[in-house]
Amino acid sequence: MRTLTILAAAAAVCIAHAGSMAPALAADPLAQVKERETLMKKLGGGMKAVGGFVKNEGPTAADVQAAAAAITEVSTVDPRTVFPEGTAIGVGDSEAKPELWQNWTTAEGYWNDLKPAAEQLTAAAGSGDRAQVARAMQAVGKVCQTCHEDFRLKK
Amino acid sequence: MRAAAPAAARATVRAAVRATLAGAVIAVAGAMALPAAGQDPPAADPSSDDPVARGAYVFAAAGCLGCHTDVKGGGTLLAGGRALETPFGTFHSPNITPHPQHGIGAWSEADFVRAFRDGRRPDGDALFPAFPYGSYTGMTERDLLDLRAYLFSLPAADTPNRPHDLDPPFGWRFLLPVWQWLYLERGPLADDPSQPPEWNRGRYLVDVLGHCGECHTPRSRLGGLDRDAHMAGNRAGPEGEAVPNISPNPERGIGAWSIGDIELFLEIGMMPDGDFAGGSMGEVITNSTSKLTAEDRRAIAVYLKSLPPQP
Ligand code: HEC
Ligand code: HEC
Ligand code: HEC
Repeated sequence: MRTLTILAAAAAVCIAHAGSMAPALAADPLAQVKERETLMKKLGGGMKAVGGFVKNEGPTAADVQAAAAAITEVSTVDPRTVFPEGTAIGVGDSEAKPELWQNWTTAEGYWNDLKPAAEQLTAAAGSGDRAQVARAMQAVGKVCQTCHEDFRLKK
Repeated sequence: MRAAAPAAARATVRAAVRATLAGAVIAVAGAMALPAAGQDPPAADPSSDDPVARGAYVFAAAGCLGCHTDVKGGGTLLAGGRALETPFGTFHSPNITPHPQHGIGAWSEADFVRAFRDGRRPDGDALFPAFPYGSYTGMTERDLLDLRAYLFSLPAADTPNRPHDLDPPFGWRFLLPVWQWLYLERGPLADDPSQPPEWNRGRYLVDVLGHCGECHTPRSRLGGLDRDAHMAGNRAGPEGEAVPNISPNPERGIGAWSIGDIELFLEIGMMPDGDFAGGSMGEVITNSTSKLTAEDRRAIAVYLKSLPPQP
């Protein structure tokens, strides 16, 4: 009995130490790949508007605010929901490399970097200052680009 | 690819994000140029009086880092050992630190220039074109000597070289002179006097230093670049990646991208639709194009827009 309790305690400590739990298996992999792509497209749509503002091609400061809000909203989705196990390349038209799950802590970290960067973008959008928005956009973009560089394979 | 250097990669992003958020220097020229993300010491500077600083810039523009460092395996800077998968087999890049036995520390200036200009080792052996000297042959003498000065300023690593795993007949080094005879157009690349300096600079950055065609131009069965299909894309790029057409074809290429779209892409990886480049292009952006001056990124854009559209 005592051994069991100790084992259980040890297991609990291990989990706590891992700091993050690996994502669960996808219930419906095909649908979840689609869902992820929809979320990503939302991020892309947001960044497109921000880029348009920075390049002075039409979008207004209000558009940037809306885009920042959309990016912030997506960034609060649990990464385990965005990237369930079993949705790597080979499932539907997934472009997610298997390395994403092999290096889960890194991948999850990138995802979590989105929120603070998006909040800065919101602040910059409020100022309406193009240089400040450009800087915040670069910071958000760095997160997108780094994760894509490591974990996405364009097909 | 940097996939498995989690801690380091992450620390870099974090630092870059913090630096940009803190609002480092910014030169908003035409509301566009963004501050360059962290550069390695010594600061790369194309207009410096110091050959080492100029060489650092050539090194970035030519994208030497990724191929000669086993980032995935946590390898030492430029000590080689990165596995490069190609249709001809797997290459293991050599150590190019100034180590006298394991690196290139014993190479004279003439030896160094010859490797790039003629694809030859000091002992006369031909080099495999997996080292893209088919592009680098066009480099100026000055850029080559600056590059050597920079490499020789870095720490030496005693990592031994690993032999390549190639399929015959591609593994036969003695056949390489035939390849060179067929495909090597020996440089340096002369400026085209009928074109403005910006275009010539762009061509030098794209076709010589950036060796963009090594991925974006399809290859013949012998591994030579198909120059009639310049930048037409390559379905079977390095590591099995599909490489897009970047000629100004409006549907299949980047004809619909503005100069500003291309500049922003080369700086932060963002495409006009808000998507971000990944894979090996992400690496090119991180190690190379994001470190260029805004003028150089513009020159690249101007040159790409001037190319004949490819189907
Ligand atoms: C944690 C890693 C990660 C982060 C952070 C990330 N992405 Fe992605 N992104 C991916 C992966 C993996 C895919 C491939 C998904 C698939 O095909 O199932 C992808 C795909 C995409 C796509 C293509 C969707 C489609 O149509 O198939 C877009 C657009 C995109 N991302 C935009 C962004 C933008 C913009 C950001 C930053 C605001 C961002 N991403 C941040 C990992 C990430
Ligand atoms: C696409 C990958 C790639 C890039 C980019 C690249 N190299 Fe290499 N390099 C190689 C490979 C592979 C070899 C081995 C060729 C052989 O064995 O014949 C090599 C060989 C060399 C050699 C000869 C070393 C020896 O011991 O024979 C030198 C010097 C060198 N590279 C320097 C550089 C520098 C400097 C740059 C940037 C300007 C660069 N390389 C860019 C892949 C690359
Ligand atoms: C190591 C191979 C490689 C090299 C070298 C390379 N590219 Fe790329 N490039 C790619 C790949 C792969 C993609 C697709 C990336 C993606 O969509 O995620 C790409 C995408 C692009 C795109 C976007 C095209 C589109 O329609 O999405 C442009 C523009 C581009 N590259 C320009 C360049 C320039 C300019 C250079 C030279 C400075 C260069 N590339 C060098 C592999 C390479």
